[in-house]
Amino acid sequence: MKRYRKPIQYVILALVILIGGYAVGRSFFTTSPVLKPGQAAPEFVLADLEGNVHDLESYKGKPLVLNFWGTFCPPCRNEMPALQHEYDKWKDKGLELVGINLSEDRISVQRFAEGVGAYFPILLDRNKKTEKKYGLKEYPTTFFITPDGEIQDIVIGGPMSEEDIDSRIRRLFGE
Amino acid sequence: MFQNTKCECGHQNPTGTVLCEYCGKPLVEDLPLDSPLEMRYDGVARRSQKDNPALIDRVWNFFSSVKIAVYLIVITLIGAAIGTIYPQESTFINLDDPAQYYRDTYGTWGAVYQALGFSRTYESWWFIGLLVMIGTSLVVCSLDRVLPLYKALSKQQVRKHLTFINRQQTVYKAKLEQNPEEWTESFAKQLKRKHYKVKIEGTALLAEKNRFSRWGPYINHIGLIIFLLAVLGRGVPAWHMDQYVSMDEGQTKQIPNTNYYVKNEDFTVEYYKDEELPDNLKGTARAKLYETKAVLYECTADCDDPIKEPVLTEVDRHDIQVNSPLSYKGLKLYQYNYEQRIRLITVKPMLVDSRTGEKYGPFELPMSNPPLTYTAGPYTLKLSDVYPDFGMDEQNRPMTKSRDPNNPAFVFIVTGPGLDESGEIYIYFPLPNAEDKQLQQMINASFQKSGNNSGRFSFEVGKMENVSFSEYTTYLNVRVDRAMPYIWVGAAISMIGLVMGFYWHHRRVWLRIDDGILTLGAHTNKNTFGIRSEVAGALKKTGIEVDPKALDNRRNTR
Repeated sequence: MKRYRKPIQYVILALVILIGGYAVGRSFFTTSPVLKPGQAAPEFVLADLEGNVHDLESYKGKPLVLNFWGTFCPPCRNEMPALQHEYDKWKDKGLELVGINLSEDRISVQRFAEGVGAYFPILLDRNKKTEKKYGLKEYPTTFFITPDGEIQDIVIGGPMSEEDIDSRIRRLFGE
Repeated sequence: MFQNTKCECGHQNPTGTVLCEYCGKPLVEDLPLDSPLEMRYDGVARRSQKDNPALIDRVWNFFSSVKIAVYLIVITLIGAAIGTIYPQESTFINLDDPAQYYRDTYGTWGAVYQALGFSRTYESWWFIGLLVMIGTSLVVCSLDRVLPLYKALSKQQVRKHLTFINRQQTVYKAKLEQNPEEWTESFAKQLKRKHYKVKIEGTALLAEKNRFSRWGPYINHIGLIIFLLAVLGRGVPAWHMDQYVSMDEGQTKQIPNTNYYVKNEDFTVEYYKDEELPDNLKGTARAKLYETKAVLYECTADCDDPIKEPVLTEVDRHDIQVNSPLSYKGLKLYQYNYEQRIRLITVKPMLVDSRTGEKYGPFELPMSNPPLTYTAGPYTLKLSDVYPDFGMDEQNRPMTKSRDPNNPAFVFIVTGPGLDESGEIYIYFPLPNAEDKQLQQMINASFQKSGNNSGRFSFEVGKMENVSFSEYTTYLNVRVDRAMPYIWVGAAISMIGLVMGFYWHHRRVWLRIDDGILTLGAHTNKNTFGIRSEVAGALKKTGIEVDPKALDNRRNTR
C-alpha cells in the first residue's frame, strides 16, 4: 500500500487540476454571443433568390461586406441605394457585397429588392438561424470581413452614408 | 521538531500518532493526565503527516485539513447567499444589456452588484473554484483518514496499556472477588448476548460491535463527491440545456441547437368556475389547466439544406401540462407560459365579381409560405407581394412593420376572362376588422385611380369555418439535464452514509485483570449513556452491582 501512496497522490491531484481546470476555465468563456471586430466571421450556408446555395467559404480570399436587412426596417431600405452604388464601384476590384435577409418570405424580399433597386446578391436566412449566429440585436447590421474571414468592422444601425461605406471598404482593401 | 514515536511497548509509530498503534498508550501528553483520551481516528496518524513535507505534500496537507474544509464551506455559503440578493442573470430569458438592467431596476447597489459579477455568482470562476476545492478537500480528507483508521481497526490488540483503559470515557476499576478466568468467560457471554464480537487473550478482553458505522461519514463523502462532480458535469454543453420555444397553434419550430422540432397542435387554458372557488376568490381568474398538445419531430434529412424543407419524423407526442412535461431521451419540454394573441393560420376567401355578384373559389391561402398562384373559377391569382404586418412608411408607401403576422396583407394580380392580359392588382386583408376593411377599400380604390384595376373584384371569406386561426401562443421550456440521475445517486449514497453513521454506534469494551484487579474501559463515538448502561447491565449479570452513572470517567473533570 505504501508503495502506491505517492502515485495515488499524483493521480488525485492531476484529476483535480484536470476536472477543476476544465470547470473553472469554462466559466471564463460563457459570455454572450456578441461578435467583436477581430473575431472570425461565423459560417453560414444560405440560398439566394434564384435558389443557388452560398456559404462563407466561397467568399474567402475576397473582401466581403455582409449586410443584414429586412423589409420591415426603414433604415435598411434607405441604405440600399448606397450599398448598391458602392457595390457597382468596387465589384471589379474584387469586392463581394451580400445582403442577408432576416428570414422573410421570398416573394416579399424579391419585390422589395426590385423596388429599391438592389441587385447585389441577396441570401435568405431561415428561422433566424444565421442572424442568431451573428448575434444581431439591431437592424440593419453590416459586417466588413477581410479576405481571410476575419471581422474588421461592425456597423450596427443605419442608414450608412455612401462615404462611410466607402471609407470602410477602402480599409478592407488595406488602403 | 523531533518527536519520539517509539512506544515503551517497543512499537515504532509513524509521525503524528497520538495513541500507540499497538498498546494504546498515549504518546502526546498535552491533556491533563486523568482526562478522557482523544479517540478520534483511534489515535492513528493521518496519512499525510510527515517530517519533511515536499511541495506536493504541502498541497496535500492543505486539503487534508478539516479546518481548511470548514473555512471553504463557510466562504462558499456566504458567496452562495450573496448570489441570492438580486436575481441572477441566467434567470432572464432575454437580457441584452445586463448592466443597464440592473442599474435601472435595482439602482446603484444593483449596478455595483452586477459590476462585481455577483449577478453571475454560480457560474463565476471563484464560485466554481471553491466547489472544486471543497471536492478536493472531501477526497483528500477522507482518504487521509479512512485508510489509517481501517488499518487500526482491523489489527486491534486485545491487551491494551492500563493508561489507555483508565482514560476512556467509561471506566470501571475494582478488586475482583471471583476467579478471573471464569468471570471473564461469563462477562464475555453477557456481551455476546448484546451482539458484541468478543476476543479473549488470557484475562484480557476486547468486545466490539457496529464497527461498520465508522464508515458512514466516508460513504457520505463518496456520495457528496458524486453529487459535486454531477453539478460540475452540467457545465459540459451536451449535459445541460435550457431553452425557450414559443409557438402559435399549428406552428412547428426547431428547438435551438438540436435536431428536434416541436409542433403546437392546440393550446388550452381553462379557468375555475365561480362555484368551484372559495368565497374570497370568486370573480377572479384562477387557472385550472394550461395544456399544449405537442408533437416532437426529429429531422431525418435535409436538416441544414437552405433550399429544401427539412424532413421531419414524429418521435413522440404528449399533452404537456404543468408538471407533466413531454419527455424524450433526456429532452424535457415543460409548459412555461402562454399569451393570448390571435394569429391567422389559413383563410379560404372567395373572389367576388361585384358586377355580376358571382363568387369564385374558395381558394386556400396559408399565412406562412403562401404559394405563388391560385385559381378561383376561371380566374388566376398571382401573388405579387406579402406584408405580414401591414403599415405605411414615412413616405406613405406600403411596408411591413415587423416579421410577425400581426396584420397580414396580400397583393394579387388577377388575370382571366374579360380582363386585361397584364391583369388587375388587388390587395387583400384577411383579418376581419373594420379598420383593415376600410384600408383595403382605400388602397384598392387608389389602384383603380391609377388604372391598375377596374374595381370589379373584392374578396370575401363568408363563414368562420373558412378561417383557421391560432388563439394562443404557447411558451415551452426545453431542458436537458443529464446530470440529474447522478445527482440522485450521489444524494442516495450520501443518505445511506448518514443513516449508517447516525443510527448505529461503534462500541468497544476493553478489560484486563492484573493481580485480581479488574480494569475496564469502554468507548463509543455517540451515546455514552447507552454504552454505560450496557456495560453496567452486563456487570450486574456477572454479580458486580454498579450504578451506570458511576462509570462516567468525566465526572472527575466537571
